[in-house]
Amino acid sequence: MTRQKKQAIYGAVYILPSFLLMAFFTFIPIFMTMYFSFTKYNLGQPAAWIGLENYEKLISNSYLHQALLNTVHYVAVTVPLQTILSLVIAAFLSSRLRNRLGDLIRSMLFIPVVASLVASASVWNVIYETNGGILNQLLEAVGIPGFNWLGRKSTALNCVAAVAVWKNVGYFLVIFYAGIMNISTDVNEAALVDGATPLQRFWYITLPILKPITYMVVTLGIIWSFQVFDLVYKMTAGGPGRSTYTVAYLIYSYAFKDRRIGYAAALAVCLLIVILIIHGLQNLVFNDKDDDEPRKSRRLLV
Amino acid sequence: MKKRVTPGFVIGVFFCSLFAILCVLPLIYMVLMSFTQATTLKLHFSQINLLDFYNYWFALTKRGFAEGFKNSIIVVIGSCLLVDIVSAMAAYGFEKKPLPGKEKLFQVYLATMMVPGQVVLISMFVLVNRVGMSNTYSALILPMVGAFGIFLMRQFMQAVPNELIEAAEIDGSGEVRTFVTIVLPLVQPALITLTVFTFTGAWNNFLWPLIIMTRSNMYTLILNMSMLSGRNDTNYGLVMAGATLTFIFPFVLYIFLQKQFVEGIALGGVKG
Repeated sequence: MTRQKKQAIYGAVYILPSFLLMAFFTFIPIFMTMYFSFTKYNLGQPAAWIGLENYEKLISNSYLHQALLNTVHYVAVTVPLQTILSLVIAAFLSSRLRNRLGDLIRSMLFIPVVASLVASASVWNVIYETNGGILNQLLEAVGIPGFNWLGRKSTALNCVAAVAVWKNVGYFLVIFYAGIMNISTDVNEAALVDGATPLQRFWYITLPILKPITYMVVTLGIIWSFQVFDLVYKMTAGGPGRSTYTVAYLIYSYAFKDRRIGYAAALAVCLLIVILIIHGLQNLVFNDKDDDEPRKSRRLLV
Repeated sequence: MKKRVTPGFVIGVFFCSLFAILCVLPLIYMVLMSFTQATTLKLHFSQINLLDFYNYWFALTKRGFAEGFKNSIIVVIGSCLLVDIVSAMAAYGFEKKPLPGKEKLFQVYLATMMVPGQVVLISMFVLVNRVGMSNTYSALILPMVGAFGIFLMRQFMQAVPNELIEAAEIDGSGEVRTFVTIVLPLVQPALITLTVFTFTGAWNNFLWPLIIMTRSNMYTLILNMSMLSGRNDTNYGLVMAGATLTFIFPFVLYIFLQKQFVEGIALGGVKG
């Protein structure tokens, strides 16, 4: 056997364990879900092929309409907020506060990242609590009447979104900060010599160079927000009314409460398609002109 | 370059500090409230008694937290070992071995990161039940292997010089020996980073354990904690004690391995 061939076989052996695990716990389930989406399959009964019926039912499902609106609302609140906050803080800390205080601030911002979503949701439930929650206590101290934050249709979803932003800013800050530290100092010094103000340097130097990283942060943010489950499950369970039903929560309740696997699978496939479409649109937005910078960061996210 | 104290600088420092404090306050609130007997109907700061560990005692002995700790620790240790070994092997194969079609396969791996968890979860539930693996530790440990870990390891594997591997081979070192005694020590920082991520991922995992663990003696700590809150009258003091117990381990890990956390995240974003 040639050395080349032997090495190739070793390669296969090294990759095999990961392949088997990914096959059983990722690849096969993805195809099974696609198959189930064309079947009537309630847990405990055999799956029966029904073609597009699940999808047809989904189109007229008013819960789904509400869940889609809510999910888009949730994404539209969380993604811009967490992206801009983490970018602005990272830019400020890296350019003006490279000292112990800056390090401390970064460390503090990261702490919510390591807390579980379930624990975070429980803590914020107490903070939002109408009678005696700290938020209402603070408001009442300055003479503003308390409010049922999670119990009102108008505020519940935004309150959940606020928790996600609280939890994510530290994570994206780390990514932006590392990206800014990677920018060569020559560029900034040249701009400084030319008399550029800090704001100009941020706008004309930092921001364009960070484009591929921003692309990744936005992509990750969208994917995470589209799948929001733990927070909704622990904070509002979809309520009040249907005001915090999200697509992921709906999939969970169809599949594991109602045990309608086929129907839930169809909804999950729709979610996948929506995420792929958004990803495609995003590529168009970020891929303008002739620079292929975004492509570099896409190694992680396809 | 001299730094002048401008109004913009002051506002910036104020804003960043305020936001940092806002990030930490809820968790301090959590710890403080865990020392109260607060229920939905009476919730107030004045009840805090820092010497009263009743909630912690109650959670550990009466609400299955002791067992939850045991289950979570088994799952976390199992996951870290498995993910480290499998990811390092795969990364080495992808980066250093001439297997035809490996880049295509790697792209397929990465593509799975775009797929929403629910798409996988539904059928994984059916599959795992079918093979009788529900309510086992394996059901929580085996699916932890994923594209992220392999991607992360591969980034570090690039820095291992090929000459070193070839030299070892010429010296008569066998394949396994080269991998274990030369390659693994060189990527040790990456293994620590990956361990940190797998630890928090497995520890904080919620939806999958929720649907696959139906027997309460197999609940992980997060599940135990999630079961604490009732529908109507919730003992908030107890819930906060539970939340604090789930938070301690990842928090201590973060305090000691801050660099590895930050490195792993930054690497995904910057080098990619």
